[in-house]
Amino acid sequence: MDLPDFRAAVDRWIDANAAELTPEHGRTTSLDEQMAHLSLVKRRTYDAGWMRWGWPERVGGLGGSSLLRAYLGEALTARDLVEPGIYSMTEVLAPTMIDYAPPDLAAEMVPRLLRGDETWCQGFSEPGTGSNLASLQCRATRTDDGWRVTGQKVWTSLAQFAQRCVLLTRTGTPESAHRGITALFVDMDTPGISVRPIETMHGADEFCEVFLDDVAVPFDRTLGDEGQGWAVAMDLLPFERSTALWHRGAYLYRRLERLLDAAPDEVLTPTEVGEVFQQLFAFRARSLGTQHRLAAGERLGAETSVDKILLATAEQALYDLVGDGLSDDVVLGDDPVSARWRSEVLYARAATIYGGSAEIQRNIVARRLLDLGADR
Amino acid sequence: MDAAERELFATGIGHATVQHTGAALDAAFDDLGWRDALADDPRAAVSTVFELQGGAGCTSSALDVVVLAALGLDGAPDIGVVLPPPGRTGPPGTVAGEGVDVGGLGTVCFPDRDRAVVAAGAGEAGDDGCVVAVVARADLEQRTVRGLDPCLGLVEVTGAHVPATPRPASADAWAVAVAAGQRALGHELVGASRTMLELAREHALERVQFGRPIASFQAVRHRLAEAYVAIEAADAALGAAWDDGTPLAAAVAKAVAGRSARTVSRHCQQVLAGIGFTTEHALHGHVRRAIVLDRLLGDARSLTRRMGADLLERRSLPSILPL
Repeated sequence: MDLPDFRAAVDRWIDANAAELTPEHGRTTSLDEQMAHLSLVKRRTYDAGWMRWGWPERVGGLGGSSLLRAYLGEALTARDLVEPGIYSMTEVLAPTMIDYAPPDLAAEMVPRLLRGDETWCQGFSEPGTGSNLASLQCRATRTDDGWRVTGQKVWTSLAQFAQRCVLLTRTGTPESAHRGITALFVDMDTPGISVRPIETMHGADEFCEVFLDDVAVPFDRTLGDEGQGWAVAMDLLPFERSTALWHRGAYLYRRLERLLDAAPDEVLTPTEVGEVFQQLFAFRARSLGTQHRLAAGERLGAETSVDKILLATAEQALYDLVGDGLSDDVVLGDDPVSARWRSEVLYARAATIYGGSAEIQRNIVARRLLDLGADR
Repeated sequence: MDAAERELFATGIGHATVQHTGAALDAAFDDLGWRDALADDPRAAVSTVFELQGGAGCTSSALDVVVLAALGLDGAPDIGVVLPPPGRTGPPGTVAGEGVDVGGLGTVCFPDRDRAVVAAGAGEAGDDGCVVAVVARADLEQRTVRGLDPCLGLVEVTGAHVPATPRPASADAWAVAVAAGQRALGHELVGASRTMLELAREHALERVQFGRPIASFQAVRHRLAEAYVAIEAADAALGAAWDDGTPLAAAVAKAVAGRSARTVSRHCQQVLAGIGFTTEHALHGHVRRAIVLDRLLGDARSLTRRMGADLLERRSLPSILPL
């Protein structure tokens, strides 16, 4: 399946199934409804085959270039059928399983994620561990019949919906830093796990606290080897900044178009509109290169921090414009359309915080891309 | 060009840009087969020549060659091009009776040419519906511009009722020529930006204060990171402008490159601090160059405002950059 054929076929299929794929009451800010609709869209897309293209056959895929995945996500997000943040979790977690899980486990689990049968989450950050990921403390202790895990995670997106978690744990000494980390694939219904959603300012409580109290995890749920968790995390993070961002960029472009359509006359200034358009263009140009490098089998790394910085900057510029151009709706509106704009304006403030803060991305650029040496 | 040919070409052009400037650089480019390269592989030729020229801070009339080729008038080394006045993209001439009124800019070798190409509109109109005409250079008034960047060697060109010979040109010839020139200038801005960043980076690693290189301070690192990201954005936009080929994409790339060069200038000047403010250091030449290059064939600010106004009027966006 090559990209032009795939694109044409996906477009035709979406058009033919638009009634079912479009959220019944329009896109709401209710996370429960968004998640339910996401499952439906993923299931339909998987059953029609589209969701399987671009993934290896050994995990239920149909093979083909990763560009097919990039296009499918673009088609679904730019048509406003799914929310890009929750849709693109697959792009972050499935590659990790494919690269690091025991083959049987990957073959069993990945199709459930692709088909929308399951939601997975990513247990990285902790109360004392934000930007300094190597300082994490959630402890996994080796016993005769498996790991026992005790600790706490925070900012775990979608944990309240998740059946599985890619969990980073401390298996070395407390001082072992990045050397003593091990990644585990944990069933979220295991006794000892409790989840508390965090109420956030934008109204969709996607972030959670996750408490782990002597949670049993079998050894065959280890991703990579013991002590290899840092490599798992470092290989996962560029995926947060590649295809997932391509999808988000397509979605933001669509939202800029909606803004142009919805804003009252004379409110938006041409220079600001032109600049946001150019920022989204430049991001897309950058990410286009990243998608093609990924498809060519290149290993992604620190250079994806540039993609992340460009997208976060463009996203905030776009929603600053929304805040100005639709200020009555954002400030006073209580209808669903206004509530959605408001939620997005507020959520944009997080774009330079989640997925590696703006400061961490710039640290990576300085250290790894500009070769400026250590920062102390 | 294949990879090896491109590398050979870049090596030659690189040597030329550090050794020569002005007419001597044009001659060196010609010896290195720049015109053939432009015909054979415009993307590789233009990106190589203009990025290296911008990086070295030298000057030539290579932009004339690019614009002439886009107008379909290549192969005549005695012809110069009249570019629009600073900040403008419309044709620099206006049809006036049998002749043209001219107000624009020439590049460094303009005074050596016998003839000049002038695109002329019918009146106050924009980029559309213009004719391409050839005039005798001696019929034009010229002033060598010193201004902000004397080393660039721009020439201010004016003339009233100048006798002109029309040349056959397609309806969109001027728009295509502007796009080609904007891509070239975008690469030149990226070249100047890369040099500024490298100068600031070297300084940050060598300059010691409080017992450590200033490159170890986060405030300095983040400025340099900001400059790096700005350059990468411009570089990506330029690549997309070549892939896409439309005047819109070329204008975006030029605007992004101009804005990016301003960002890079600001951060690098701050990191280089006192020494970067002197004429003893190379930075000031690149800062000057970036400001002037931004003004040629549409500056970031006017291009952005016009683009935004178009989008607001249409209330829709073009589809851009397919996978």
